[in-house]
Amino acid sequence: MIPQAAPGAATETPESTESTQHAEPVEGTGWRRLSPRVIWVDAALSALAVLPAVIAVRCFGVAPTLTNLWPFLAVIGLGVVAGITDLIRWRFTRFRVTAQEVERQTGLIVRRHRRVPRDRIRSVDTSAKLRHRLAGLRVVTLGAGQQTTSGEEALALDALSRAEAVRLRALLLGERRADPGGVPVSRPAPVPDRTGAAPRPPTVTGEAEELVFARFRPAWVFYNCFTIWGYLMAAGLLWGSHWFASSFGVDLFSLILGGLRAERLGWIPTVLLILVGAGLLGALALAAHFLVTNWGFTLSRLGSGAQSTLRTSRGLLTKREVNRDEARTRGLSLTEPLLWRWIGMTDTHLITTGLSLNDPAQPAAILPRGPKRVAVAVAERVLGEPSPFEVPLPRHPNAALLRRIWWATGLTAGLLAALAAPVLSGALPVWALWIALGVWPLGLGAAALAYRALGHAISGRYLVVRSGLMNRSTVALQREAISTLAIRRSLLQRWLGLSSVTAMTAAGWFVYEATDVSHAEAFALAERAAPGLLAGHGAAHDRAGR
Amino acid sequence: MTVPPPPLLADGGQPRQPRERIERRAIAWWMLRSLLIWGALLAALLVPALLWEPLRVWLIAPLIAAGIVLLAKLAVEPWWRFAVHRWEVTEHATTAASGWLVREWRVSPSSRIQTVDAVRGPLEQLFGLATLRVTTASSAGAVTIAGLDRATAERAVARLAVVAELTEGDAT
Repeated sequence: MIPQAAPGAATETPESTESTQHAEPVEGTGWRRLSPRVIWVDAALSALAVLPAVIAVRCFGVAPTLTNLWPFLAVIGLGVVAGITDLIRWRFTRFRVTAQEVERQTGLIVRRHRRVPRDRIRSVDTSAKLRHRLAGLRVVTLGAGQQTTSGEEALALDALSRAEAVRLRALLLGERRADPGGVPVSRPAPVPDRTGAAPRPPTVTGEAEELVFARFRPAWVFYNCFTIWGYLMAAGLLWGSHWFASSFGVDLFSLILGGLRAERLGWIPTVLLILVGAGLLGALALAAHFLVTNWGFTLSRLGSGAQSTLRTSRGLLTKREVNRDEARTRGLSLTEPLLWRWIGMTDTHLITTGLSLNDPAQPAAILPRGPKRVAVAVAERVLGEPSPFEVPLPRHPNAALLRRIWWATGLTAGLLAALAAPVLSGALPVWALWIALGVWPLGLGAAALAYRALGHAISGRYLVVRSGLMNRSTVALQREAISTLAIRRSLLQRWLGLSSVTAMTAAGWFVYEATDVSHAEAFALAERAAPGLLAGHGAAHDRAGR
Repeated sequence: MTVPPPPLLADGGQPRQPRERIERRAIAWWMLRSLLIWGALLAALLVPALLWEPLRVWLIAPLIAAGIVLLAKLAVEPWWRFAVHRWEVTEHATTAASGWLVREWRVSPSSRIQTVDAVRGPLEQLFGLATLRVTTASSAGAVTIAGLDRATAERAVARLAVVAELTEGDAT
């Protein structure tokens, strides 16, 4: 249980340090503590955890036996354990900002000492749950563009006082902003602002130049409450309320089923009623969820030129703010799901290095799902004029349609062949073959839709490609961000005179493809997409272009 | 490296073939590899088909398919691949042509190289072969050149290491 000496930590922590009410400089060393308000918040939460049990016993007259109260006891136990864990975490966590690095030590049993070089820090994000907001706290997360697959933030400080969080962000981002190339430059050590006095000058300029691109509109709710997940949400809600009600002695399921049986509707109307009811419940839940997470959404640009950041902030109870370094931006993608294309439903994602597309918090999404018109307008402001999403994308050659028709036909034929033996031997009825044949028209329809989604163009700095059947996505990718080019041809493509040109990059999904362009055009497209890359002096061109 | 190589795109926008070919031994390597993988799959289908009568009718189509694939992988793929595969490492770019049914022509400029590896699996060691893997910042953008002689691959790695060191920047 002896804390390990942290590697390379030249300074020791003096023990008697509790001082001012925020921000805790541990005197003389630059080490600081998290805000002590964290502890009070957790004590309050533990107290709140007792509340449901009290209400159940007092107001609903639930007999205080172990069988009745175990869920409440579990809640109390969890609340108290969480409070104590947080107290320990607060006691053993300290951090400091030095000239080169941000360091954090944490943990009682397993001591962790993490250092992040300051020039690697790509984002400083703050978020606050309701309890943090009530206590004036912010959770600060530093992102250092680590491999997006690792799914781990560089460093999180949970939590600092709001003023301290603002100061830290200004210190780290303002610092980087003054540093043009992102190359580590030795400079006099900036003194971390310990006094809590006026913020450093870069903050003032950085915060002042805020340019708002989009604000929350309540109408966006309609784009976010009709998905298949609604049913899952409804199922979860029903199960949760059933469980909750049963601990008060009410059986919700038999109430509902009894009510339905009394109506004597017959099977099909009953099932329909349940489906519609659950769907509506799910839609309402999704709408509520959307409003709570996205209320007050704003997308804005801070700073200008190469040292700017794109900031989104949103949330009714939990406030989430994400800052994205625009020097890392490589493009933008607009995705339109097939079923909702008629109302122009669009997802807008930034293509950038160091932000995971698999993160459930969707840090790359710079707009909530919403109307296409808003997405295109925002894209134009983010990427600058002329917007690559405005260029017309000419149809791909008819051979591309032919290729899709061949695939639809081939898949149907394969399915028929696979079912032939079982049907002939009587293991399957003959109508199985008809179902297999029914796949064909569906496939042909999908072929036509997928063909119509294809498109590519080059617009200014950007390569624009569009494809996708269920989710048609239009991607604008910076041409100088392309790190590998591939030209692929299957047997069928060779026969039809088609090629697929693939551009690989370090950002987003890593692979963006202009599918089925005519082969005669393929290499010219590749050459224009990444100038100099094919000509044999890629290096020279590439560096000059930055 | 004394004579600068001609540009990758010839006049008329069509690509020049990369200059180097791979080792003939790679044919035997591919054959052995396919035999192990697809032979095992075929056996895994064949055994239940022989042992359990009612299942047989369901396994006919998969058995035929696996048999055809195995035959193609043994008799066609290695020779075809040997005819197609080409590679070239210059100070500007690494280029590779590969594939058989689906052919691919891939180029990655030296300025974007992040790591260079020579990988040798157990079967490759048996044949004295190595695979050269040149990765870029894009996790999908690696150029893979299989079927090189071990010494050739080592030389290419050494050369690429020098080239990559000369180019500035963080290669993203």
